[in-house]
Amino acid sequence: MNQPLQTPAPANRLTSTRAGGKLVKDYWDNIFTARERGATVVWYNGAALNPIFQAMGIEWCHAEAFGARLAATHMEGPAQAMGEEYGYLRELCSYARTTLGCAVLTRREAENPASTAVADDMVLASRLPAPDLIVNAYAGCSTGQQWDEISYRIFDKSLPFFKVSYPLLWGNQPDFDYIKGEEWEAAARYVADQLRQLIAFLEHTTGRAFDWEKLREAMHYIKIAGQLRMDALDLCKAQPTPATFWDWVACIAPINFLPGNQDLVDFFAGVKTEIEQRVAEGIPALPRERYRLAFDGIMNWNKVGWLANKFAANDAAVVCGRYTHTSFWHEPHLIDVEDPLLGMAKHYLLCPFNHNAKVLGQLLIKDCEKYNIDGVVFHSTRTCRSASNGQMIMAKMAQKAGIQTMFFEGDVADASFYKDAILDTRLEAMLESIDVKAMAGR
Amino acid sequence: MIFENAAGSVDATVVRLLGTLSEAAAAPLEYVARWKRRTGRKAVGVLPMNFPLELVHAAGALPSLVQESSEAITDGRSLIYEFYCAYSRSLADQGAKGRLDVFDAIYAVDHCVALLGALDALRFAIEDRPIHLAQFPASMDEPASRVAVRERIAEMAAALAALTGTAPSAAALADSIALYNRDRALMRKVMDMRRAGTARISARQMQAIVQSAMVMDVAEHIAIMEQLVPALAQAAAGAPSGAVRLFLSGHYCHAPRPEVFDMIESCGVSIADDDLFTGYRFIATDVDATGDPLDALTDWYFNRNVTVPCGTRAQKTVDGADTLLTAIEASGSQAAIILLPKFCEPHMLYFPEIRKALLARDIPFLLIETEHEGLALEMLKTRVEALVETMKRGVAAH
Ligand code: SF4
Ligand code: SF4
Repeated sequence: MNQPLQTPAPANRLTSTRAGGKLVKDYWDNIFTARERGATVVWYNGAALNPIFQAMGIEWCHAEAFGARLAATHMEGPAQAMGEEYGYLRELCSYARTTLGCAVLTRREAENPASTAVADDMVLASRLPAPDLIVNAYAGCSTGQQWDEISYRIFDKSLPFFKVSYPLLWGNQPDFDYIKGEEWEAAARYVADQLRQLIAFLEHTTGRAFDWEKLREAMHYIKIAGQLRMDALDLCKAQPTPATFWDWVACIAPINFLPGNQDLVDFFAGVKTEIEQRVAEGIPALPRERYRLAFDGIMNWNKVGWLANKFAANDAAVVCGRYTHTSFWHEPHLIDVEDPLLGMAKHYLLCPFNHNAKVLGQLLIKDCEKYNIDGVVFHSTRTCRSASNGQMIMAKMAQKAGIQTMFFEGDVADASFYKDAILDTRLEAMLESIDVKAMAGR
Repeated sequence: MIFENAAGSVDATVVRLLGTLSEAAAAPLEYVARWKRRTGRKAVGVLPMNFPLELVHAAGALPSLVQESSEAITDGRSLIYEFYCAYSRSLADQGAKGRLDVFDAIYAVDHCVALLGALDALRFAIEDRPIHLAQFPASMDEPASRVAVRERIAEMAAALAALTGTAPSAAALADSIALYNRDRALMRKVMDMRRAGTARISARQMQAIVQSAMVMDVAEHIAIMEQLVPALAQAAAGAPSGAVRLFLSGHYCHAPRPEVFDMIESCGVSIADDDLFTGYRFIATDVDATGDPLDALTDWYFNRNVTVPCGTRAQKTVDGADTLLTAIEASGSQAAIILLPKFCEPHMLYFPEIRKALLARDIPFLLIETEHEGLALEMLKTRVEALVETMKRGVAAH
């Protein structure tokens, strides 16, 4: 196999994604001052309900995203320590225990700001403004749903709290398939009805009327931004690829929770333009792309850079992934801007952890064909059974389709679950198998 | 445990009846196979935690709740990871080994992430029969949930009619509901006697009674329970031997290993009550026998979570920790043991709330994480003994 160099040439990361980092930072900085500005704040988990909050004129804090941000900036320690002190066992979803740790810290900070005297490294974890209301809309994962039951209890069961439920896209009926069949349509109608009830709940809680025109406007921008993102992803069919999965990871936060507005569109237009330029000029994401891989599983927030370097050092371009390519407004044609709720409901149902294993396998194989993938890397996420569900079956399906597979154990937000040596050995073995197969095919 | 009558001779009736129930509980798939041979009818494997068994029964099939197997997990490892709870891993393993082929279909209604993963794995292990998910929303607070549950129950009734050739009619459902209510009431009587100290029954035996009800033909179970209840009442209870009274809590969806109960009881403890799935949780709530049966089964789902709230549900108006405190006090227990299956997400999420409540009330407790294999019983025994010492001294420590 191709040996990594002593000092691997760095990956050629997209520069346009930096603008997204700035937008995201500004968004959080703004949230941190919500209390002083007298804004109404909702904490929510799961689906990208932000256009609804935007139209309602309330400020939204995606609790998971905050946990991810803490892990990505290696600031998760204090929140996790607080979670442990509160009684969470280490095997519990690290996303949930990080963010619930933040909730405990926020609660203490809100109760007695003078006395907490939080240590410097705790500052970020305790900076979320305490919520005025809680909304949960977690598809697929029961933990995601129950996590806000606990948030609600941490805040003394005193806050208005609404939950949206989703059926897992299971497929009892023979006509069921991805975005097809009566079961799918019925599920979408059921979720859209709940969104209407959520809006009624928000109106009741805030005492204000919902602004449907603002929702249409937000969805107008989100639909365009979503399409630009998908177009940009498609451009990575080029060989060598102009951008990698790790670039797309940097685009998750903007598409997941930033306001639907012109800035969002401009950001994704910028990303697409940069990729178009790269394709036109033949600029690759990796100096030497030798392998094209897909990545399955939830993100490894505190290891993104580490993983990106590891694959780059092996000349392995991770081109696509479930978390980036099959989620986050990824079927923009489903959105009817004039009457957006049903299309929004459909996207919420299309959470990448809300499919059955067979559909997941089919989507994976489709992307492998589209992007000419040699092998799939499965991140078996120690504390996220939702992302881990179905992976072994997907791997069997991929192997049957002639695609190499490997597994490594990691985690969504707890760095202690990584075993570096195992990842190295397995990656090396898979890349060797890809070489052997390529030689046999010559 | 030996049952003695007033004359001091072993009450053979009790031993015999409990033996029959224990056998079905310990070898459920063999029971199902025998039942099918005997009746020539179909059997449906159902998954915990809220499945309305009455529906399958009214469609003329045997509903049998799939239990964790004591077999080592081998083949199932190629379907789901090792960091899943024992029950979900065992389910996948039993499916991969063909053990569940005795069932003509598998049905589930519950939302727990590990359970759904295991059910999906079963679809690949058992390709030739229906694996039906009629997912009940886990959030109990919204009006939309009730409508959805009612629809799922109706869909299941239609699917069962296609499977068995017998539609679960309103009359058949009313009969099934009456039977299951009767069985639950009989089991509750035994629990009442245990709580009152008028029947000496071990935790292992109590669990066998409930677990067998999950597995067996309900009429057959009732027939045994109707003999067992009076026999137990007659058997001299004896004083509860001054043993320390303890409450068992947890295990939302499957049976703890009976060896754990034996170990706990060997520390001079008597189990006064529990909220285990294979205990009070399973039998606590009856189905309304009047009105539309599908409505009644829908109500039952929501009522169950009020009687004994479950961490796998999301309901802001009830609290498992409060219910637990009330149950501990009502049973006169001096302490609690929380049995938490390793990797059980919902239980891990709720545990701090439970801990907070117990600490606030100064109730001594012990957390035991259970596993499929390799339970260090001797080590656990030391911890239970320490808890018993604490209780005897009347000091709350954790
Ligand atoms: S287990 Fe996974 S999907 Fe579920 S809440 Fe945690 S991170 Fe989200
Ligand atoms: S409730 Fe707990 S033990 Fe039961 S299937 Fe879910 S995770 Fe496993």
